[in-house]
Amino acid sequence: MNSSTTVANALRLDEVHLSRGGRNVLHGVSLSAPAGALTVVIGPNGSGKSSLMLAAAGLLPVTRGAVLLGDAPVRALSHRERAQRVAYVPQRSDLTAALPVRAVVAMGRYAHGTSPSADAAAVTDALAAVDGLHLAARAFTTLSGGEAQRVLIARALATGAGTLLLDEPTSALDVGHRVALGALLRRLATAGRTIVVALHDLAEAQTLATQVVLLVDGRVLAAGAPDTVITEGPILAAYGVRLVPGGGFGYTAP
Amino acid sequence: MTRAWIPIVLLCAALLLAAALSLAVGPLPWSAVDRMVLELRALRLLAGVAAGASLAVAGVLMQGLFRNPLASPSVTGVTAGAGLGAMLTLMVVDGAAAAWLGWLPREFWLPFGGIAGALAALALLLALARRCGGERGGGELASVLLIGLMLSLLLSAIAGYVLALGANRFALGRALIAFSLGGLDGAATARVAMTLPLVGVGVVAAWAWGRPLDLLLSGETEAQALGVDVARVRRWTLVWTAVLSATAVVLGGGVPFVCLVVPNALRAWVGPAHRPLIVLAAIGGAAFLTLADVAARVLATGQGEIPLGVITALIGAPFFLWFFRRLARA
Repeated sequence: MNSSTTVANALRLDEVHLSRGGRNVLHGVSLSAPAGALTVVIGPNGSGKSSLMLAAAGLLPVTRGAVLLGDAPVRALSHRERAQRVAYVPQRSDLTAALPVRAVVAMGRYAHGTSPSADAAAVTDALAAVDGLHLAARAFTTLSGGEAQRVLIARALATGAGTLLLDEPTSALDVGHRVALGALLRRLATAGRTIVVALHDLAEAQTLATQVVLLVDGRVLAAGAPDTVITEGPILAAYGVRLVPGGGFGYTAP
Repeated sequence: MTRAWIPIVLLCAALLLAAALSLAVGPLPWSAVDRMVLELRALRLLAGVAAGASLAVAGVLMQGLFRNPLASPSVTGVTAGAGLGAMLTLMVVDGAAAAWLGWLPREFWLPFGGIAGALAALALLLALARRCGGERGGGELASVLLIGLMLSLLLSAIAGYVLALGANRFALGRALIAFSLGGLDGAATARVAMTLPLVGVGVVAAWAWGRPLDLLLSGETEAQALGVDVARVRRWTLVWTAVLSATAVVLGGGVPFVCLVVPNALRAWVGPAHRPLIVLAAIGGAAFLTLADVAARVLATGQGEIPLGVITALIGAPFFLWFFRRLARA
């Protein structure tokens, strides 16, 4: 990707406040996710990770502050342009209809209006990237949780968007597919995409991230390189547990 | 690819069979059928095809929009609006306004009344939904559903009152009752000619909105993330549902269950993707209503034909119970 593309892929949140259902869920969150970086957002349940992802994707209007994609406010983009530039992977899909997997992944091409052959090639590539080609003819409703999660990731990849937002994409994946997804995300980041992932698993965050943002109660408690954020003090403050000393990952009651 | 054509071929065959029966069956034996009788039957056939296609496609649109196989145009209030508009038109044209509405034949006023009633109900629905709308400002789907149900009940109650008022005048009372029970026997050239283009445009428009409706099956947030302008899709889906429902009401009066039976039977057969479903529903709905109309004639008693709405309800209610059981098991 050239430099103008990577600038356009960069995502920035400036002092974002967000209210959902009358409750303030984000309080002045700032975050800069440059192209080429793999940003992991961690935090306890209810800390605002999913709301942050939705706001960053332009799917929720912020009450104060700004979400910028490149230089443009993400909500100022047309629906189609936004979908071409930012892809969002939910934790779970609300899709309950028995559509074939290939049709589900092809939804990622909706915003493009390209030729059927170009769309078909993009769908095949996306399915191959998540080891899902053998699922193509299956009905989405018959998939296991992990298979469905891989199909949702393929749908996001099929958009060809430069910025990928993934909300707990590994929660249902087996260890083999977790490792494969990590490698895929690193490759995409290296190629100039902006990747933001919300995760629960701190070991995974440690190995995957180039930068980590720790959210607590809708505020950024710590942000920076993984080994500066996933440390004793912030983890105890955020989760109320201690990291097991001496390397490896485990937690003990304080 | 070959398999995708099988339902189309089978449904087209069913429609051709229904059309042949519709032309052949009636109180007069085939040997006594002259050109005039055949033209009347052909008109009735056209009305049945158009009304059946409209109802089934409107059902597909509503079930796609609400992501619920039990949704139908009646939950938006537009069917009740079309019915009330048509009944008011019958009353006005038959009453004091007859003198100054005489510049246009009566048959032309009914489609205007029905479509105006449906669009007025739709405008009211959208305005109220916008006022009660949530964070996206365009009126949330739950608001649309609840306000639509309220409108439907309100307009049906007013239509009941109109029916009671019309009962004082014999001819008008009979026309209103026949209209509310549904039937294609009143199909006239002007009515069919005015509504056929609307049905054609409505079915093509429904097909065009099929792709974003597929994406909406993933829910509004995911569809929006994939580039769908959800508020626009919702608005236009409701507009075309109103047009299709109104034309069906104008052509066949109150005909229940077609918009539930046909789409659900076809969805179980060919899957939930909207574009193929809309094409098949148009053919299947046309065949279903034409066959129901043939049954109405075959089962005619000394009191006259069985009302079409009764036939579709007799088929639709057991189907619906079977489908509901199947849904509950799934």
